[in-house]
Formats: sequence, structure tokens, C-alpha cells
Amino acid sequence: MEIATLAPILIVLLFAALAAGLWIGFALIVVGLVAMAAASSAPVTLVFATRVWGGLTVWDLTALPMFIWMGEILVRSRLSADMFAGLAPFTRYLPGRLLHVNVLGCALFAAVSGSSAATTATIGRMSVPELTARGYDPRIAIGSLAGSGTFGFLIPPSIIMIVYGAATEQSIARLFLAGLVPGLMLVALFSGFIMLWATTHRSAMPADEPGSGDPRAVLRLLPVIGLIAAVIGSIYAGIASPTEAAVIGVAGALILASATGALSWRGAGEGLIAATQTTCMIAFILAGAAFLTVAMGYTGIPRALAAWIGEMGLSPYALLAALTVFFVVMGMFLDGISIVVLTVSIIMPMVLEAGIDPIWFGVFLVLVVEMSQITPPVGFNLFVLQKITGRDILTLAAYAAPFFGLLVLAVALLSAFPQIALWLPGTMLN
Amino acid sequence: ETWDMPTPYGDSVFHTQNITQFAEDVAEATDGELEITVHSAGSLFAHPEIKDSVRRGLAPIGETLMSRLENEDPLFGIDSVPFLAASYDEAEALWAASRPAIEEKLSEQGLTLLFAVPWPGQSLYTQGPVDSVADMEGSAFRAYNTATERLATLMGAVPTQIETGDIPTAFATGRADAMITSPSTGVSSQAWDFVSTYTELQAWLPKNMVIVNTGAFEGLPEEVQTAVMEAAEAAETRGWEMSEAETEAQIAALTENGMEVMEPSETLSAELAEIGETMTAEWSEQAGEEGQAVIDAYRAE
Amino acid sequence: MRLFLDRLYAGSLFASAASFAAIAGLVLIQVLGRLIDRAARLVGAPPPGLTVPSLAEIGGFLFVAGVTLGLAGTFVRGGHVRVSLLTRALPPGAGRGLSALVAAAALGLSAFGTWSSWLQTVDSWVFDSVSFGMIRVPLWLPQGVMTLGLALLTVALLDALIQLLRGATPAYEIGEAEAGGEG
Ligand code: NA
Ligand code: NA
Repeated sequence: MEIATLAPILIVLLFAALAAGLWIGFALIVVGLVAMAAASSAPVTLVFATRVWGGLTVWDLTALPMFIWMGEILVRSRLSADMFAGLAPFTRYLPGRLLHVNVLGCALFAAVSGSSAATTATIGRMSVPELTARGYDPRIAIGSLAGSGTFGFLIPPSIIMIVYGAATEQSIARLFLAGLVPGLMLVALFSGFIMLWATTHRSAMPADEPGSGDPRAVLRLLPVIGLIAAVIGSIYAGIASPTEAAVIGVAGALILASATGALSWRGAGEGLIAATQTTCMIAFILAGAAFLTVAMGYTGIPRALAAWIGEMGLSPYALLAALTVFFVVMGMFLDGISIVVLTVSIIMPMVLEAGIDPIWFGVFLVLVVEMSQITPPVGFNLFVLQKITGRDILTLAAYAAPFFGLLVLAVALLSAFPQIALWLPGTMLN
Repeated sequence: ETWDMPTPYGDSVFHTQNITQFAEDVAEATDGELEITVHSAGSLFAHPEIKDSVRRGLAPIGETLMSRLENEDPLFGIDSVPFLAASYDEAEALWAASRPAIEEKLSEQGLTLLFAVPWPGQSLYTQGPVDSVADMEGSAFRAYNTATERLATLMGAVPTQIETGDIPTAFATGRADAMITSPSTGVSSQAWDFVSTYTELQAWLPKNMVIVNTGAFEGLPEEVQTAVMEAAEAAETRGWEMSEAETEAQIAALTENGMEVMEPSETLSAELAEIGETMTAEWSEQAGEEGQAVIDAYRAE
Repeated sequence: MRLFLDRLYAGSLFASAASFAAIAGLVLIQVLGRLIDRAARLVGAPPPGLTVPSLAEIGGFLFVAGVTLGLAGTFVRGGHVRVSLLTRALPPGAGRGLSALVAAAALGLSAFGTWSSWLQTVDSWVFDSVSFGMIRVPLWLPQGVMTLGLALLTVALLDALIQLLRGATPAYEIGEAEAGGEG
């Protein structure tokens, strides 16, 4: 079947399956099946098992249940409540107050975790109940979380940068360094937006936190700060790899929680069961995405689209604009890592041809992949938040929309001032 | 007909470039009757699944590192026995001696070998000059399979498992301080960021092989089969040349970026040769008569 | 039968959690070994080099086992996400019909996945496929666990479809309603 006919059919099918209420993982599988039936002669039965097996037996994925488990322990042991009470005095005079915890918490956590889903799940599990209980408007409380969760990819370590670096032979160390300043820029943009929002929506902001004037509340931050320091420290002291560090987080959270007498064995077990369910939910979608990705590889649709952009012979800026649109559209239906894997070999030659720095392009890619995390119908941060908040994906996507806009702004800034990404690796490593 | 071809490495790797050329040659020689779409960098199937995908007919053709199959049969690991064949000439002789046995092993699984091309020789990356094995004592040495683990132990180092993507972090944070890998990987992971010395050992030259599903291959018209075989032969010759050129270019790149490139001292060479003897003997024992026959054939040349 | 099925789903969820806990245990041993090596170097003793062989590969196997074994248990508790705008907006009768249709489609897809995984397991058994790492793990073993997990999901979907057709409310809808109450 022709690509021009097949692609729209698949998109309609995906929307129909999702709208009917089919579970996301199954919806991706059904689209993959139709794509393979239409455009490939490979035996689909074995392709499914082979790719799902290959897509899930990935060492880096093991950090996902660990980080989520750590979050569940913290929630169950009141340590996360302590953390919010301790942060209240700091944010008292800042417009937006505790909403900034989403941004800063995700930024800090992103320095430990390479995945956006893990970042959203862990911080969200703690911050959503706390912010809701304090009366913050869910639009901004959940929206800022959806946006900030994407830091997991930009602030090193980052799974997507490892994938890109391996596929294009770029130094992963350089990519990591290149992501740092743009990551901080995003933190500033998001926090700035929250301040703006809080100033313009005064009536939607809750009353002042009772007792937030008490400076001693700061002490309640110590356990969680110690935990985060232990996790990050274990990486930089060479005690654990970034993947292994997740387990340091679990062990640390268990020790803390039992030392403060706030967690029973039973609570730890319940936390593990809850983390297991969240992991299974995310991994089931990952399995569906893995199958859909290989089906897309067989159909050649992403290659054809990327090649079509290449044939337009655009100037560097026009090329970047076209690629941004391309990635945003693809990002609605596929997960970001799959898109990079599927298209990088077509896109890299045109990028290099246009004289674009491959390290800079890696950061650009991460930003557009971050966008795909919060666009419906297939956006992993939205799925994680649906699990946490029980709200529908479209509602969540609407909450996240302003932060999508800020990501687009970040891409524009990065294109106008490439040094935002290139300055740090240039200074540190040359 | 169009064939999907999964390959594990990215487009800038010479193996992938060689394969792309091979695909073009086949298309040209068959007047487009057989087109091969190369899905590089694991974009169709990831490295661990490629061999089974070809065997299962999910993709008619694919590329994989030969020694990845070592757990299936020790014979596949023959090109990764340290110091058994430690130069291009020796590697070529070893390949000539082992090829029939490897082809037979593959054909038992319904696979046909098209061609195999070596990586540049595996050499030593350390934080300082290594005059003898004693300098390696107690250091954390990156091991990624049974052979590298054994090698580390025999050198008195401590084998440490580090995944490829984790190499820079592991070195920067002190989880590893020595590794043995090709100059290609050294350059692509920008080894000068975290180690200072490269000692040219060419301890072994592991090969990537391109395999095809025998059923799919035999389904091709006779003249197309011949064209594929001819293109494969040309790809093998070209690949070996590319590999040698790559070795020179990448060692030059290491020097250019400030790494100290050294030849091994006499002491070190002698000590490593002895370790090589031990490991070859251990390998032969595992590989049995079949393996011994290949070694004998190789040594007879 | 009801009790047996409920225990089956709960039991598989526990097995799934145990797989993830096992990953944590192995990583802790690995980190501990590294700390001991470091301490040995500090006092000038030879580092014992205690590591978990093939940790990355075995961790991957445990992950896939954990994920697939937990699919059914997660499903019956309403843990898998979906878009429920339309089913909720429809009148009850039509909504129920659509739910049954969706459950039937999911059942078919899950059965396909189980069949596919079973074929892979048999293929690995016949060809004696093994892992790449330092420990030679026959692949049919973890792949068999994956097949089992997918089969349990298929059973859970069949169970849910029968409930829907009988006019009862399946467990996952109750779980989803409870989750919707949060936030
Ligand atoms: Na990160
Ligand atoms: Na999306």
C-alpha cells in the first residue's frame, strides 16, 4: 500500500481505538498489526514477540521501578509531607509559592534519573497530593508537573542522549554537559511562567500556608536532602552507575523511613506493590510502542517523511523549523526515543550538510522529544499523570499546553543562541 | 524484491558504510531486482535480537558481532581469544582457517555467511603508562564478556562490568580505570576525556559478520544469488582495507587529541603472550576437537 | 472459581513485585562489592573483586519477567491507562456495549501476544538460544515467564469480558473509579 494512503488510515485507527477506550498499549499494538499487514511480508507473530522481548530486556529500564518505589516509600512515610512543610518558608514570598517545588524537585530529581516517566512519577506521587491538599489550582499544579517531568531527558544523565550518542557516534559526556545549561534555562522559563501565572491569577492561589513563617520547619527538609545527596553522591563518588543509583535511593528511603519510625514492613511492601503496578502500566505501553516502532520501520513511513524534508533543500533555520514540526507531529503518535531511533539515520546527513553542530542537534532533539512526552494522544508523562490524578489525557494535555509552548520557546532560543548548549562542553573539555 | 537489513552500528561506523556500499552494489548488479534497505543503529531490531531475527526470517539479512554468539558455540569466539591472532595478517590467517567451521555452524541454523570484517585491534587504555602487567594490579578493568573478565583476572586486575553507554561516566567517577577496546570505540567515546595512555596491543580483532537467511537466499533467482555473492566478496576485501585504514586514522585521532600512544614494552609483550597461551589453551579445551582442529590449521600456515 | 482467579491475579502481582525486589537485591550486592574493593585498596589489600556476573543482562530478564507477570494484576486493579471520555459520556447501555467490544478486542490482541510469545519460547527451546553475557542463560526460561504473564493477562481479559456480558461490573472498572477519586 502507498505510504500516502496508509499513514492517514493508521492515524484514524489509532484515534478510534483510543477514543473507544482501548488500553493504550493495545491501541499501539493494533495499529502496528495493521501497518505490518498492509506494508510488510515479515511474519508478524514472531516480530511481535521478538521486538517486545528486545524492547523490555533493557538494563536501563530497571531504574524505573526503583525510582517509583522510592517515591512510594517517601509518600507512605510522611517524608514527602515533611519536605513540603520544610520548603514552605523558602517559597513564602515567591509568587507561585509551593508550585515551584514541581519545577525544582523535577530538576533535582532529573540529575539522578535518565527518564522523564520516572521523574514525573516520583515527583508527581509526592507533589500532587500535597499541592491538592493545600488548595493549589490543578491546572497549574498538574500542568507544571507534566512540563517539568520532561527535565529527566535534558538534565544529565539522560537515556535519550545515550541513544542519540550511540547512534551518531557523538560523545555522551559532551552531550550530557551540553544539556545542562539548556536544562537550567528551562527551569528559569518554567519558574518564570509560574510566577507570571500566580500574579495574574491571584484568586486561584490558596491562602498562605499556616505556620510557614516558622524557620524551624526548614529542619524537616534534612532527611530528603540527605537522601538526594546520597543518590547523586553515589554516582559521582563512583560507588554506583546511574542505573544502580536508583537502588541506593530505595535503600536510603527505607533506612530513613524506618529510622524515623514512620514506616512499617507492611508499608514498604505496599509501596512496592504500588510501584509494581505503575511500572507494569508504563512498560506495557513501552511494549506496544516497541512493536509499533518496528512496524513503522517495516512500512518506511518515518524514513519517507524525513527524506521528503531533506529533498526540500531548506536553509538551516528553515530545516530546523521543518524538523521541529516533523518531530512534534510524529511525537503525537510515537514515543520520542522511537522517533529518534527511526529517523536519525536519514536526518543526520542533512543536519551535517546544513552545517549544524551534532552536539547542538542532540540537545535540540532532546527538547523536541520532551515535547512529545506531553502531547496527546501518546504522551508518556500524560499517562503517568493520568495514573496519579485519575484525570483524562486530554484534560491533562490542556493543563500542560503552556509548558509545551515554553518548550517551543526554548527551541527558538537555542536556535538563535547555539552557545546555550555549546558553551559548557567547549569550556570544560577543550 | 526489497530486503530489510537490521545492523547494530550507526552510519558513521565504517562497517555500516561498507554495508551501505554492499547494498548499492547488489542493487546495481541486479538492476534493482534486489534492493536492500539498511536499518542501521539497531533501528529495526537491536543487536541482541538481530541474529535470531534473521534465523526466524523476520529480516532476510543482518549484521552481528560474531563473538556475541560465543555462548552458543565457543567456535564463534575464536576471533576474540586474546593474543591468538594479534595483527591484521594473523587475523586474516585465522579467518581463513576458521571460516569453513563457522559457515557450517551457521548453516546448521539455516543461516548463510556472506562476509565478515574485523574491527581494528583491541588495545589498552589506561590512566598512565603500563610497563608490565604488575602496573595493572588491582586496577578496575572493564570486562564485558567472559574472555575480558578472564583476561583482567590473569593480569591481576579487578574485572568490572561497564555497559558501553556508561563508559565515560564510569571512568570519570573511578568505577573503572582501564579498558581494552578498539581505537574506533576509543575515538567515538572520546577516550581522551578520561584516560591518558593508549598501548597498541591489537590483542584481538573481533569481526562483524553479515548473515542471510538461507531459505530467503535460495528463493532468489540464480543470477541474483551470484550477484549477491560477488558483492559480498568485494565487501569483504573492501571492509578489511577500510578496517586497516580506520586503525591508522583513529590512532592518529587519539594522538591529535593529546593521548599518549605507546608500543608495548618487551616485558609487557612477553607477559601478555604468556596470558594469551593460557587463554588459547583454555579456549581449546572448551571448544573440543573441532576448535583444536581450527587452531592446528591456523598454526600450520 | 472467582476466589481462585482473584488469588491468581494477586499471586502474579506478588511474583512481579518479587522480581523487581530481586533486581534491587542484586544491585545492592554489586554496590557492596564495589565498596569492599575500594576499602581494600585504601588499606593496601588486594581487592576481592566481588561482582554479580551478567548483572545487566540478568537485570533485564528480571525486568521483563516482572513486567509481564504483573500485567494481569495491574489490569484487574484498573492500573492500565486508557481514554475513558467516550465510554463515560455514552448512555449506560451503549457504554456497556462499547466496553464489551473494547474488552473483546483487547482479549484478541492479548491472545495474539501470548501466542506470539509462546512461538518465540518454543523457537528458543528448539534452537537452544542462549544469552550473550558471562552466564549462559537459556532464553526459553525468561521467555517462558513472559508467555506465562501474557497468558494470565489473556485470562483476566476473558474474565472481564464474561463479567461485562453477564451485566456485572468488572474489577478494573471499580479500580478505575477509585483512582478517579484522587487528585
Ligand atoms: Na536526567
Ligand atoms: Na506525544
